[in-house]
Amino acid sequence: MNNLQGKRILVTGASSGIGRAVAQQAASYGASLILLGRNKERLKATYDSLQGSGHEFYTIDITDYTRVDEIIRSSVATFGFIDGFVHSAGIEKTIPFNASTPNLFKEVFEVNVFAGFEIARLLSKKNIVNPSGASHVFISSVSAVSGEPGKIIYCSSKSALTTGIKALALELAIKKIRCNCVLPGCVDTDMVKKLFASIPIEAKQSIINKHPLGIGQPEDVAFLVCFLISDKAKWITGSEYIIDGGYSS
Amino acid sequence: MKKNEFVSQLSEFCEFENENFTLETLFKSINGYDSLAVMSIIAFVDENFKMSLTASQLNKITDFNSLVELIGKDKFEDE
Repeated sequence: MNNLQGKRILVTGASSGIGRAVAQQAASYGASLILLGRNKERLKATYDSLQGSGHEFYTIDITDYTRVDEIIRSSVATFGFIDGFVHSAGIEKTIPFNASTPNLFKEVFEVNVFAGFEIARLLSKKNIVNPSGASHVFISSVSAVSGEPGKIIYCSSKSALTTGIKALALELAIKKIRCNCVLPGCVDTDMVKKLFASIPIEAKQSIINKHPLGIGQPEDVAFLVCFLISDKAKWITGSEYIIDGGYSS
Repeated sequence: MKKNEFVSQLSEFCEFENENFTLETLFKSINGYDSLAVMSIIAFVDENFKMSLTASQLNKITDFNSLVELIGKDKFEDE
């Protein structure tokens, strides 16, 4: 089991899917969560489902960095240092290349990449992060290392995230902040349900068929994330972990 | 957007080879109408009409006219 007793972890995209599962598992291992998400009702549902105490939740647009900074500073002043960050918020777009305009790239990169790195930057500051060390985990995608038609924007955003953390890991090692990426395959989340609704049935079946162990569950990914947050992963940084039911094999 | 402009702009966007399409042209008769074309139609409608169509909705369309009806005739200008 992953012991996260006493750790304070901020999770983006905590309203549903992998972010919610991470929050629930981390809480069951003893962590206190700071949940960020867009949908108040669903975020509250995540909050209500958490074991333990000391959790907080904030309904915000995570690209409102001024507000995110206020939340972080207020939380640290009240409850203490931050021990970890999980960037699970993400946008998926299935758009053919001929429609992939710069504005759509910006929209996806803003949440998938820029918000992840900016919140990591805010959390890594002196007097915010635990001086004894911390762990940042970014939810990337197996799409960072493999393509699908209509996925140039999504694939390139996840690839930027996955490569970026390697530089981040080197810079933050001096603060004992570890940075890693998890690259899930197709997981049964609202985002994937929306994706499946937007593509032809044969394309959906093709994606499913490429997962020898079937479509994953959010909890499958959450377990790996909680391990990477935990002190058991204290010698792991700058790494990416594919968890995809065999998709990329 | 007028309906005939819609036919022409969508055909160009999807890069369908023949350029003489009408509202009655059946999508399945178009050389190049494939799964990527379906994604392109979804993207085109989203961009121009701010509507998110699903693949299952598009499965039910036959010709350009039926796509116009799916989007809503009121979204188009009079010819």
